[in-house]
Amino acid sequence: MGTENPNPRNYPLRPAATPFASPQSSTPFASPQSSTPFASQQSSTPFASQQSSTPFLSSGPVVGSEAPVFRPGPPSASNFPAPPFSGGPLVGTEAPAFRLPPSSRSSEGVRPPPPPSSGGPPTSGFQSFPNPPMPSAGQVPPPQISHTGRPAFAPPTRPPPGPASIFSQPQPPLASMGSPPQSLKTGQPNPNIPPPADQHFFSAPRPSSQPTSPPTGTSYAAGRGIYPGYANMQLNSVSQDPPMQPASFQLQQGGYGPRLQSASFPLQQGGYAPRAPPTSLLAQQRGYAPIPPVSTPSGIYPGNQFQQHGIAPPVAAQQGLAEDFSSLSLGSIPGSFDAGLDNTALPRPLDGDVEPKCFADMYEMNCKSRFLRLTTSGIPNSQSLASRWHLPMGAVVCPLAETPPGEEVPIVNFATGIIRCRRCRTYVNPYVAFTDNGRKWRCNICSLLNDVPSDYFAQVDASGRRVDLDQRPELIKGSVEFIAPAEYMVRPPMPPLYFFLIDVSISAVKSGMLEVMAQTIRSCLDNLPGSTRTQIGFITYDSTIHFYNMKSSLPQPQMMVISDLDDVFVPLPDDLLVNLSESRSVVEAFLDSLPSMFQDNMNVESAFGPALKAAFLVMSQLGGKLLIFQNTLPSLGAGRLKLRGDDIRIYGTDKEHTIRLPEDSFYKQMAADFTKYQIAVNVYAFSDKYTDIASLGTLAKYTGGQVYYYPNFQASIHKDKLKHELSRDLTRETAWEAVMRIRCGKGVRFTSYHGNFMLRSTDLLALPAVDCDKAYAAQLSLEETLLTTPTVYFQVALLYTSSSGERRIRVHTAAAPVVADLGEMYRLADTGAIISLLSRLAIEKTLSSKLEEARNAIQLRIVKALREYRNLYAVQHRLSGRMIYPESLKFLPLYGLALCKSLPLRGGYSDVQLDERSAAAYTMMALPVKSLLKLLYPNLVRVDEYLVKVSLLRSCFLCWSMIWYVSYLLPMSSQTEEFDTKKRLPLTVESLDTRGLYIFDDGFRFVVWFGKALSPDITKNLVGEDFATDFSKVSLSQRDNYVSRKIMEILNQYRKSDPSYFQLCHLVRQGDQPREGFFLLTSLVEDQTGGANGYADWMSLLYRQVQQNA
Amino acid sequence: MVKLTMIARAIDGLPLVEGLDDGRDVQDTEFYKQQVKALFKNLARGQNEPSRMSIETGPYIFHYIIEERVCYLTMCDRAYPKKLAFQYLEDLKNEFERVYGNQIETAARPYAFIKFDTFIQKTKKMYQDTTTQRNISKLNDELYEVHQIMTRNVQEVLGVGEKLDQVSQMSSRLTSESRMYADRAKDLNRQALIKKWAPVAVVLGVVFLLLYVRNRFW
Repeated sequence: MGTENPNPRNYPLRPAATPFASPQSSTPFASPQSSTPFASQQSSTPFASQQSSTPFLSSGPVVGSEAPVFRPGPPSASNFPAPPFSGGPLVGTEAPAFRLPPSSRSSEGVRPPPPPSSGGPPTSGFQSFPNPPMPSAGQVPPPQISHTGRPAFAPPTRPPPGPASIFSQPQPPLASMGSPPQSLKTGQPNPNIPPPADQHFFSAPRPSSQPTSPPTGTSYAAGRGIYPGYANMQLNSVSQDPPMQPASFQLQQGGYGPRLQSASFPLQQGGYAPRAPPTSLLAQQRGYAPIPPVSTPSGIYPGNQFQQHGIAPPVAAQQGLAEDFSSLSLGSIPGSFDAGLDNTALPRPLDGDVEPKCFADMYEMNCKSRFLRLTTSGIPNSQSLASRWHLPMGAVVCPLAETPPGEEVPIVNFATGIIRCRRCRTYVNPYVAFTDNGRKWRCNICSLLNDVPSDYFAQVDASGRRVDLDQRPELIKGSVEFIAPAEYMVRPPMPPLYFFLIDVSISAVKSGMLEVMAQTIRSCLDNLPGSTRTQIGFITYDSTIHFYNMKSSLPQPQMMVISDLDDVFVPLPDDLLVNLSESRSVVEAFLDSLPSMFQDNMNVESAFGPALKAAFLVMSQLGGKLLIFQNTLPSLGAGRLKLRGDDIRIYGTDKEHTIRLPEDSFYKQMAADFTKYQIAVNVYAFSDKYTDIASLGTLAKYTGGQVYYYPNFQASIHKDKLKHELSRDLTRETAWEAVMRIRCGKGVRFTSYHGNFMLRSTDLLALPAVDCDKAYAAQLSLEETLLTTPTVYFQVALLYTSSSGERRIRVHTAAAPVVADLGEMYRLADTGAIISLLSRLAIEKTLSSKLEEARNAIQLRIVKALREYRNLYAVQHRLSGRMIYPESLKFLPLYGLALCKSLPLRGGYSDVQLDERSAAAYTMMALPVKSLLKLLYPNLVRVDEYLVKVSLLRSCFLCWSMIWYVSYLLPMSSQTEEFDTKKRLPLTVESLDTRGLYIFDDGFRFVVWFGKALSPDITKNLVGEDFATDFSKVSLSQRDNYVSRKIMEILNQYRKSDPSYFQLCHLVRQGDQPREGFFLLTSLVEDQTGGANGYADWMSLLYRQVQQNA
Repeated sequence: MVKLTMIARAIDGLPLVEGLDDGRDVQDTEFYKQQVKALFKNLARGQNEPSRMSIETGPYIFHYIIEERVCYLTMCDRAYPKKLAFQYLEDLKNEFERVYGNQIETAARPYAFIKFDTFIQKTKKMYQDTTTQRNISKLNDELYEVHQIMTRNVQEVLGVGEKLDQVSQMSSRLTSESRMYADRAKDLNRQALIKKWAPVAVVLGVVFLLLYVRNRFW
């Protein structure tokens, strides 16, 4: 009996077993049997009854409903106590047959069991059941009869149906694959199922069957095993001694819940079930014990349940297998996917980024995934295995990711030096082992035995845990911050320093940039980090360079103009960089007068290079953050750039990539100098014309900075965006003069790093400034041919100066298992991290080759990965006409497609402006995983229904008074909360209804799309009286009506959830070309646009390529 | 001209504050900072240093005062009036004690009071120019007597510690080497003994063997 418990997990499995749909035709009985051995017997009768009572089918899911149905049919059956027996034996025989097939599958499929909840699937099962043939047989013939009948039918029919049904049930959309995924999510690994128990069970009854089922076997296996077991048990119990039965049942219940009951009963009930009145059924469900009589009521239940759970939905019919993987039906012939490929069945990440959970569950002390994500948590144990993993292997690190309140990283202060490994310099972490009664600790990365300093000593208890564990966050938490002692300082902690290099040529003034910028900085002065230590300074430039003396004793800043651009010098030794709190009034006076000072400036030149050098001279003593506001192409002095422009003729040639590289080595050289002196550069570019972002961005790339690009900046439109992003840049918590190193265990090594930083030695990243919006990726390779350790550890250490002037070390530690099986690697894969790494590799590739090649490289990697995966399973399964992929990577093809269509990689000459391409590339190189995924597959949400509903409710409100008040109040409040969970729509034109109003949000902008047939009321409410005019001139602002307020609420809610960038709202009316195309249509990644594939085409393309050479 | 300013805890040499953008126009800033750190370590070792002292180093001169277990140190040009330098340190001391006086013992991390650097910077500027009226009047002020303050050379000061170190090192080397010598002497003695008697023993052995063999077989 004990063995039964394990079954619960299996429970889900059953459904798989029930291949009813297909079997039906053969004989009703057969189908039930297939579902589960015991089921078959009992089920036969119950089913029959049900089937006959067609009504069930419809009602399917509801147990209660089913029950009633049963009653009528079964009555006769219930009477026989004997039937169970007879049924039992039969079952037993059947069961073995069953098992065998399943077992084989199970071995193949590592997959976890189907979804636990019976609720959903049942319905489908019911429907399938309907087979009329059964009813008569089931009802009329006593259980015995049914048995006899079954054996003949069942064997043949069952095996095939079983698998199919399993898949289909869970996820209708994914034809076959559906179910497995769910199980995955639940995170039931094979191990979950207690294999021994099952085996035991089985073995007793039928040795042959047992062996077949793999011990580790997936839940499926277990499930199947269980079934047989049940059957046996029941049989035994019945035959041997009646009293036993109840007990056994109970046990089962414990494990399974309802199912067990059903299963166990079924045998007994076989005949009886039908009889039991509905009420009785319920009772049974709750507690069997009372039921001992068992026979009657229970029987009914089981049958129903079976059907529900076990029955495979007809959908599955094609070829469900109890696999480990997900699949997509593409029709049997590669070319003919039109028929086979169901658009709605394609996997879509409509829930956003779903992080793999199993990894975190395995190692609880790992740092949170927001800090560190591995592309696959299963580290291959050999190079040959690693070479079969065609996707990038590595990690994406966001060392300062924002933490929700309550999960702050604990701060640790060691009075006498930080505890580190002598050899590899690893910081003490939760995975180190204390030995020798606490006097030594073993480094988890290089396994060297270190001494524990006397003041860090603590006794170790019997289980090897230190007694003071709960007072040592560094030994419990995967993420901690150490206060660094003096050895970690080359100089005293620097103060936060902000230096502004501002273009004041005519275009800057005309676009209104100068004014917005000055206002924003002024409003942020209070919130700059660093309190009284913060330093600030300004330089402006056009064809000359202007310095400002901000000495605190001056009433007004003094301006000094340097026009010698060849030999830049600093006119004043001090006071160009001042303490903000002391010179506050002067700084404010400067910012107030800045826009008016250059109001009439007609200068069109830009001495950017010399100004950059001047800023460098001023800042080099301290380092800090340099914010550059550039409006035109640098035209004077060093670093002058040519209007090399976007030449259509260069596309497709070998020189194509040169336009994406910095033109002048001046910029790279400056960037190197900046990094050396701890200066981070953020570039704000505003021009409507070509400004060579590729060159300017180099400054940000090598100094850990960021590029903000506002093409064609107009203060009236982009004001809010610049304001928000600049103030976030100025006020977010920043880490200064930082260096970062990622250590990892023996045998693996980080070989390359991707992101915005400067590599100081082979593995030390120099980061003059870091903040929560920056992530870094690194690629991993195996150094040794064979890894012998069971676990590989990673440790990210970021040494930085906080804005408050403390030197700290932030340490994130994570462990990952070493696996020997490629399937396991796939199972532990993390699509988000893979895509993040893949995008960085692709963007880097565009700097050395054509766009086309970069796109092909992505495609090739995905194809190779899927092909390898297919080869894993092709042997055991008939896979024709199906594309298979691991559940963990189900979104990989879609994200890959989105990546190919993203700004940096999209199309060719005419598709994206060169500057925009470069800016997007620089941005994507630094984006954390979550933001990147959102950018690649943005949210599309329909809001008009929500708005209308709410406003209707509201009008009711006004009309009806108190009575209605109460009744509406509740729904209304619930609806507002309900909104954020609103369904995201697939990104295709088909999702857009002409009567709808949609919001499209990619993290960087909103597009509000007005359908042609949208009620004019809404439009009028949103944009005012001039709703018929050109939308490019209208902005969405709060108006005094309910709809407008509501939509602003929604937008603000979205903005709040993703504050790193400001989402500027663009209004677009359907059919309003080219605006609609520009803003929205090109971003609908699932559609075919400008020569790029649509999602369905893409999938079939991948499928065909996977097939080739497969 | 004040070039460098540092404040440290005297008992353990933990740096508490350092002037902002110090050493901008000094050639070997790092070198002098190292010297200062060595100096702090010396002080922390509890050598009986006077609480006020000037130490010459290259073209510059360190001045320091120790008050309430805090050491205030500055580095100036040699030509900079001693009187002003000590006035400057007094100013720092007064402000520092006022603001952080009660937290000095509990400071656990280096540069715990780095915020004080803004005050240092401000004060430094006041002392930058020796010709201002304010500074001239201070120079003429006889209230503060600096003539007795000892001036020594940095090599001397750092040397004291170094020499002591050397002596102890040498003596320890001496003891260990003499022990080694004794061991080796014993060893040699034994070897000499063996050398002396080994041939005799061998000859005797052979003789006895022969005798034994003869007795046995004949």
